[in-house]
Amino acid sequence: MAKNLISRDDNRRFLLAVFEREEDILGATNAARERGLVIADVYTPYAIHGLDKAMGLRPSRLPWVCFALGLAGASFKVWFEFWTSATDWPINVGGKPWNSLPAFVPVTFEVMVLFAALSTVAVFLVGRRLLPGKRPRLAASGVTDNRFALVIEETDATFDLGEVSAMLRSFGVSHLEERVDQDLL
Amino acid sequence: MTLKHGAFNLSDRTYGLFKWFAILGVVTFGLGLLLAPQRALSSFLLVNIGLLGMGLGAALFIAFQYVCGAHWAVALRRVPEAMCGILPWAAGGIVITLLAGKSLYPWTSEHAVGMKGVILSYPFVLARTIVFLAIWLLLIRAIVRRSRLQDQNGDASLSASNTRLSALFLVVFGLTFWMACFDWVMSLEPEWYSTMYGVYHFAGLFLGALAAMVLLVVWLHRVGPLRHVLTEEHLHDIGKLLFGFSTFWMYIWFSEYMLIWYADFPEETGHFIRRLTGGWGPLFVANMVITWLLPFFILLPKSVKRNPNMLVKVACMILVGRWLDLYLLIYPSAVGHEVVTFGVVELGMAVGAPGLFMLIFIRSFRSFPPVPVSDPLLEASLHHHQ
Repeated sequence: MAKNLISRDDNRRFLLAVFEREEDILGATNAARERGLVIADVYTPYAIHGLDKAMGLRPSRLPWVCFALGLAGASFKVWFEFWTSATDWPINVGGKPWNSLPAFVPVTFEVMVLFAALSTVAVFLVGRRLLPGKRPRLAASGVTDNRFALVIEETDATFDLGEVSAMLRSFGVSHLEERVDQDLL
Repeated sequence: MTLKHGAFNLSDRTYGLFKWFAILGVVTFGLGLLLAPQRALSSFLLVNIGLLGMGLGAALFIAFQYVCGAHWAVALRRVPEAMCGILPWAAGGIVITLLAGKSLYPWTSEHAVGMKGVILSYPFVLARTIVFLAIWLLLIRAIVRRSRLQDQNGDASLSASNTRLSALFLVVFGLTFWMACFDWVMSLEPEWYSTMYGVYHFAGLFLGALAAMVLLVVWLHRVGPLRHVLTEEHLHDIGKLLFGFSTFWMYIWFSEYMLIWYADFPEETGHFIRRLTGGWGPLFVANMVITWLLPFFILLPKSVKRNPNMLVKVACMILVGRWLDLYLLIYPSAVGHEVVTFGVVELGMAVGAPGLFMLIFIRSFRSFPPVPVSDPLLEASLHHHQ
């Protein structure tokens, strides 16, 4: 669900912790962030309220894309309706002026919503490289079903595996393993 | 669980201010009745429709929360409950308007013919008014009383019984409110009609009540009672509703306008022509700008909906828009559309209404714990996040 912070560097090591409960992953992520650990990513089968804050994620830029594309769709539609009904093929409807703005509003509104919604999904899929033919590579089995995985980057020598493992165990971690980055993604 | 909340640190100055506002309103109404009775009565109808809307909007908010089983606003529920305190006063005001303000309603002197004459016969209108108001008041009082009773005995079945009452209230309200709007406001222009009128009034009253709730919860957070209760998460949700219903209001406004513009029947377009000519045109546009256009763009970013200072400014703007909306609905019909009539009477009563509202709100809010302490959903509401 989150922004992928992992780069293609073979020497980086990660600690993968799998949890069974939503409360545990939320608590463990919060605790990891409070300790100053680098959270590489969190994998969950569904969106968890408050997880973005726990991970310290920046606000998504997707709403701006949605706004811009909605505006673009609305502008295009106003222009198109003006062009069809006032320029290219003027039709007298009930004696109204050809460029009757109130008549354009409903369709403009619909097209704005359609443009904004479809293009936001498209931008999301392209931006995340979720294109057709993409092979799923799961951090751990079950993260699309009923399990939650927290991936912590082991940044430098100060990373104390014993201490971090103990912290994760206090949140009832069900599976813990170290990986180098190629195994993960 | 023990609940931490601040004491109500209300300064005498603030309370005194509301009192002076209310007195100013009463005095201008009295003077207006002597000097310009038509304007005073129109303004009286305006403030009572506005105040009734505040109470009904608050009751609808409570009812929606119960029916959805929503937990997020439970900790703030005492605010809409106290807002309902204005209802008996506003209901009385509506009845007084109908009794004393026959001059506002042309159908009381020139009787309409056919079915319209039956619908708009004075005793029938008065009877309908009293029945509608009585049903609403009884249902709302039952809901609010059960919620307050729960504080003492912690009986969870009261929540279930309130859910049933809320569902009943929503259905009854939906079936009766549009008729009430026809009787009290649309019949100021008895030859004009619009089937969007009821839902238009609903959109306005719910938007106004939400804006008032924003102001009240932020204020109560600052003066104490909701200090450890209200969070950014709650504000964010109310902000979303404010944004949504501002847009809903515009949507309904336009739906009414477009149908009438398209069909172009003389008996229908008159309503809008009267509000677009004379000095009314700029006000007609300003209504849309401050009730929807500006709030829409200001409330778009998430950060604004979580920022109490910004939210309060937008809510103030929407409340001014709410007054302007009712002014535009009532004044061109009841006082005259040739010139824009605005003066001491209108201003004094527009200031007096919130003053009176606040006096009743404070009295009602203070009489009970500031949060529903025994509601089973309170815990979830206090830790609400999104």
